[in-house]
Order: sequence, then structure tokens, then C-alpha cells
Amino acid sequence: MIVDHPLRLAFGLLGVVIFALLYDRLARRVTARDLAYSSVPFFLEAAKPRGWIPRALQTLWIVALGALVLGISGPHLTMLVPVRDGSVFICIDTSGSMSSTDVFPTRAQAAKSAARAFIDESPQGTRIGIISFAGSASVIAPLNSDHQAVIGALDAIPLPNGATAIGDALKLSAQMLPATGHRVVILITDGVNNTGNDPVEIAQWLGAHHVPVYTVGIGTPNGGLIPGTNEQATIDEDALRSYAEASGGAYARAENATQLHDALARLGRITSLTRKPVDASLGFAVGGALGMLLAFLAGFSLGRYP
Amino acid sequence: MTIREALLRARRRPRHLGAGSPTIYRGDGYEFVELRAYVAGDDVRRIDWAATARSGELQTRVVLEDVALTLAAVLDESPSMRVGRRRPLLDAGREALQAWFGAATGEDRCIRVTAQGVTPPALQRSAHGALGWTPRGDRFDVARALRTARAALPRGTALLAVGDWYELDDSLDRELAELGARFDCTALVVRDPWYDGLPLGGFVRLRGAEGGYTRAYVGPRERAAFREAVRRRERGLVRRFELANWRTGVLREENGAESLAAAFGLARA
Repeated sequence: MIVDHPLRLAFGLLGVVIFALLYDRLARRVTARDLAYSSVPFFLEAAKPRGWIPRALQTLWIVALGALVLGISGPHLTMLVPVRDGSVFICIDTSGSMSSTDVFPTRAQAAKSAARAFIDESPQGTRIGIISFAGSASVIAPLNSDHQAVIGALDAIPLPNGATAIGDALKLSAQMLPATGHRVVILITDGVNNTGNDPVEIAQWLGAHHVPVYTVGIGTPNGGLIPGTNEQATIDEDALRSYAEASGGAYARAENATQLHDALARLGRITSLTRKPVDASLGFAVGGALGMLLAFLAGFSLGRYP
Repeated sequence: MTIREALLRARRRPRHLGAGSPTIYRGDGYEFVELRAYVAGDDVRRIDWAATARSGELQTRVVLEDVALTLAAVLDESPSMRVGRRRPLLDAGREALQAWFGAATGEDRCIRVTAQGVTPPALQRSAHGALGWTPRGDRFDVARALRTARAALPRGTALLAVGDWYELDDSLDRELAELGARFDCTALVVRDPWYDGLPLGGFVRLRGAEGGYTRAYVGPRERAAFREAVRRRERGLVRRFELANWRTGVLREENGAESLAAAFGLARA
């Protein structure tokens, strides 16, 4: 946390300390108005009064005043805040292996459905684009903040066929993304790159430019036959993990449509958040004022004011 | 009946033979109290032959020995007695003492007992002298006061002890029993000013009369627990004195003299 006015904070905290000492001294002072009783030890043993309540009230006063002081010192907290103008490219694998039915109904269909969930979870204002890739990569939908239009464009994704050029897809997304701002690439694939650019190199480049790549591996551990061939569709998890790590993103595995849907929906929420210093003056000031009001009302309603 | 008569009737040694038994002291100066049926152990010289002839059964004349009493008193004057609901508990204690020494007549002696000593003989002849006497630098110490009483008072003394008994720890039970066997002892246990309930709620700042301080929150739960504990303490103290063969009563803040009379069954306190 950083503060705009450290001098205010220093003097304010000094005031809080003086307040705490005065409060304690006033609370402990013996006055003629105090109730006199024969034996305090007997009273304590007999009534077992709750001594923690006055202490809690005292603590509340001090904490509330501290929060108020902090509030007027201009504090800034680094927090995860929603990004209203972020840019996200979803790269969907349409290679032949995505026609495998080990994920119902097919890997490609499940990926489309999950991409729809991602778009639904993304906050309004986030610009989303779609790239499909097989032997080469092509833009299905450019970055667009109209999410319904992007969802509609999902139908234009071609049927699975051909090789898998993950590096090309990453490179194309890097070219299409704006030079600044909050940018993210989502890669939905079974991860076996077999043509085009080296995905690791592109991922490293993206990472160096603060564009994390979140990879989602789709497919069961045993894989499945590619329809019409004798080829086994597998998943290269190590490769997908390395792309994510190289760019500062994260890897998630989905063995069925539900897991894939959940993984993308979660990504939709977290990729639209970014760490930013936020001015917390109002929060601290209001919190402190409310705490003081609460302490005052509590002390007043619970009986004699200490 | 007065407190003095009650003391004479219930003198401890004769009382062991049954309340109202004829006194065993010889000589003149007996006051007739009542006639009653003869019981084994009665002095045959006290049989009223005329009454026996009238009733056809042996009748004994019960008399009170007209002897000088020694009335002694221990009053707790510690700071814990200087608090109260409407006035200091000590005021009620002093009223009880006035009533106690006020019962003295004729040759009776009045003796205040403190931790430092007892009323000098020259001042023992009047209640005023005993009440006015306070040793210098007196600091109430219940254990020392009781030990002083045991050492300084003659056997058979009527001893009144008034206090809140916060200092009465278990080690003093034996002392109480010895005093109960030696003297005609009466204890007045001060009723807690808040016996009927704490007049407090919410945040409380409490100052101990003998030191100590606390601030706490007192709610219905605390009030109920306190009320029960105060009653339990009073019952426990009364029970301890009774076990030590003391006559017991409760000193109420409102009226010390009535509280003393109530301890003798003479009035409702």
C-alpha cells in the first residue's frame, strides 16, 4: 500500500496513539461517580462480568479512528479490478484431431460451446476476437466488444481438418492485439503442434509484452480415434503447459465438455481482472466513520458511556 | 422480653441442659420466670411444693439468675463496611452495637474488642464508654480481633460480632468454634447492599472499598449470577456460624437495632 500524504498519516497515527492512551486513562480513572462496592474480587467472581465488551468497544474506537486517518492520507491499494476495455483472442484448434469424439460430442464442438461460455462470462466492454487454426491460422472474428456478434461468429469456425499450427495462431493473435492495454490469449487445443512457427518462441514473445497465454488442453488421457482414419488423437499436455509458463499464463485440462465449459467460464472471469493501484481513501474514510458511529451507538445503547 | 433477658435465658452453659432450665448459680438475686413440669436434672431445691400439690405433678420454678453480664462486641470497621445502598453499612453496624450495649443494666460491663485490644476497665461500666472508645491506629483484622476476644474476655461473656466477613477464611472456623464453646456468641452477617439485585446495567465502573477497580459489561446474565452468588454467600456464612454454635442474624442496612433484635427472635427485621 502506498499513501499520497505520508505526513498526514504520521501526524494522524500520532493522534490515534494519543487518543488510545487518553481513552485508556479516562477509562481507568477513578471518580466519585464510580460505583463503590465492598469487594471487587467477590463481584468479579460472583457476576463474572464480560470484560471483553468494553475492551472490544475501545478497540473499535481506535481501529475506526485509524481507518479514518488512513482515509485522509490518500491510500492506494494494489487490487484485482475488472478490466472494462481488455482485449482477448480465443484461438480454437480446428485440426483433424479435434474431430475426435473422446469429448462429447466432439472436441471441436465442445471447444465452441466452451468459447461461448467464456464470452458470456466476460464483462461488457471487453473486446473479444476469434482465431481458428489448423494448417494455418485465420481470423474468424476481429476484436469486438459486441459479444453477441462474436458468439454468432463462432458458427463460422470451419470443420476440423488438417494439421495443427499453434505457433501461427499465437503469432496471428499477437499481430491482431493492440499494442497496449490489458491483453490475453486463450488457446483451446489438443496441443500437438506439427507445422508452422514454434509456439514456445511466440509464447515467450507474448509474455515479454505482458500478454499471458491461457492454454486449455482438451481430450481424455487415452485419446480417441480421428473419425475416418486409424490415427489416434492424443493431447500434449507438457507442450501446452510450457506455452502457458513461457507467457505468464496458466494451463487447465478438460477431459469432458463440462470441465471445458467450467474452465473457460473461470477464465472469462479471471482474465478480465487486472492488478491496479486503487485509491482507497473513500473506503477507509467511510469505514472509519461507520466504525466510529457503530462504536458510539454500541456504547450508548449498552448502557453507561465509558 | 429484652435482649438482656434473652441472653440470661439462653446462657450457654445452662442451655446445654435445655433452654429454660434453672440456673445453677447459688445465692440470692433470682428472678422468677415461670413454672413448668419437673424434668430429670432439675435442682430439687427449685421444686415449688405448693404448685406441685395443686397440680398433682412435680413443678419446678424456673428463675433467672440476676447476675451482671459482660457484653462484648466486635464491629468490622474496615473500608468494606463504609459502602451501602443508601448509607454506609457501618452505620447499621453501629446501631446494632448501640442496641447491644444499650441492653446493659446495673453492674453489667460493656467491652469493645478490636485487633489492638479491649475497652479499658474504667470505660467498661457504661455503653457510652465502650462505644466511644477506639484504639489509636485501629485497623480491622478479623482474625486478630477474634483472638483478642478469646484471650481477653471472661468465660460466659455475651459476645456480638458484626461484619461483612470478607476476611473470614476457612482457617478461622476453629477459632469460631472455640469462641462458640467459651462465650454466648452472636454473629450478625451484613446483608449485601445489592442482595435484591444489582442496580446496574450496561457498562459498569466499579471501585472496591478496599482497593481494586474494574470496568465491565453487566447484563441480565451477570445480574442473575451475582444475585445467586450473594444469596449463596450469606447462607454459607450463616451456616458456618451456626455450626460453630453461634446465634446468627442478618444485619440490614435499614436498621441495625432491629436486625439485632431479630437475631434474638424479638422482632421482625
